[in-house]
Amino acid sequence: MNDVDPSEALNKVCDTEGEIDIVSEVSFEDAQRVIDSEHAHLVTIDAMRIVSGLINRDREYMGDVRVRKALNLAVDKARLIEGHFKGYAHPVAGMSPPYSGAPTDIEPYPHDPDEAKRLLSEAGWPSDRPLVLATTSDVAPLADYLAESFRSSLGIEVELVAVPDEHLAAAQKVLVEKKIPQNFDVLSHAWFDLAAGYPPAVIHREYYHSGGAFRLGPPVPEFESLMGRSVIETDAEKLGDLGRDIDRLTHCEALSVFLCCPMALVAVNNHVNFTGHAATLELAETSVEEGHWSRK
Amino acid sequence: MAQPTQEAASWKAGDAPAGTVNVVDPHPLNWLYITWNTMEEPVRTDERGEIVGACMEDSHWEGSTLVVKVREGVRFQDGTNLTSASIKRAFDEVQKWVAPHPPGTYLNFDPDTTVDCPDDYTIRFNFPEPDGLALAKFRGFHIASDRFWDEGGFGGKVYGTGEGHW
Repeated sequence: MNDVDPSEALNKVCDTEGEIDIVSEVSFEDAQRVIDSEHAHLVTIDAMRIVSGLINRDREYMGDVRVRKALNLAVDKARLIEGHFKGYAHPVAGMSPPYSGAPTDIEPYPHDPDEAKRLLSEAGWPSDRPLVLATTSDVAPLADYLAESFRSSLGIEVELVAVPDEHLAAAQKVLVEKKIPQNFDVLSHAWFDLAAGYPPAVIHREYYHSGGAFRLGPPVPEFESLMGRSVIETDAEKLGDLGRDIDRLTHCEALSVFLCCPMALVAVNNHVNFTGHAATLELAETSVEEGHWSRK
Repeated sequence: MAQPTQEAASWKAGDAPAGTVNVVDPHPLNWLYITWNTMEEPVRTDERGEIVGACMEDSHWEGSTLVVKVREGVRFQDGTNLTSASIKRAFDEVQKWVAPHPPGTYLNFDPDTTVDCPDDYTIRFNFPEPDGLALAKFRGFHIASDRFWDEGGFGGKVYGTGEGHW
């Protein structure tokens, strides 16, 4: 029923029975409305989703790990999660969700503006060199937050560039083809995984591997080696170990601005039993009680 | 190895689905979620996203060959049984495409992979070298009835290829 506007659907699932039973992708701003509603409840899912800042290592200064670490130290993830995500997100140390194959011996980069400024200065970042931050409309509020964080923590100017929706397909094509140099330093970006357990197959591979769609910068030899070993590894435990090694490398090299894994929020009408799934909208286990409109 | 699919706690043998639900799913991957909710795959994911068996009951490696035990008793919407031949048909149909998966070619099986069906419920995937991501690739390996493929599949009969027409 995707001919129903999501806001109309949310009104119906919250305020009526017998109209809409399940509405996925509830916004973080609307979560409390569902919780407070008479006819629906909120299902929260630790989803296979991640938001990050994609770093363009082809740009001057961005190939320097000190600059990349400075960007990570500039962002207050706790404030981001409480403010933008209303608490419905998990901070990350790398690109693996903390509930899906992430190593337990690394912590998210702390918010440390002084150390961030020191690293940026040590890397020789010119005071008049602005950071170019690009965004698409789906993650524009996240980009606003990053821009404010970089300005206030690093004391540098940030040029925020928005990709118009009508140019999105063309921009994606240019990003994937890598024939034309990108003119941004960081791109606010959202991505997902198809299953839990080995995030490098779908997440790290796309961002950093020589064949990855979103890689911007030269391939990282150690990363290529680890990925090469993992694609022929059929032992699940050893594959998991390789995945954690890849995430540690990603963290240590600060290959992205690591942010958080947003939860998926679903509004479910009364008399409907819905089981949330981390990687998909799955209905096989959904059932309705005898009081449900369709069984009266 | 993938674990057997867990039964929903409230379901008992002999239960039949009852009722209707109206779902609004504005997610950009809605097309994929519909595919996963209406087609069969060797594996699916559980609540936490872990890969579990679906029409694949079990699997093990013999060198670079993945031996899959097909779950018995699975039927398509047209009433025909899902067997190892159904999986081979899907494999043969999709291997014709250069880029069958919108997320990227990393979900492809190696083009030199062959499959054998020693019986109705066993299928052997002979990879040129062990494929550590085979089970993850199974998540995007959609199995359909012969009728689905014979009547056009993912658009192959109309367009000459199914690519871009999931």
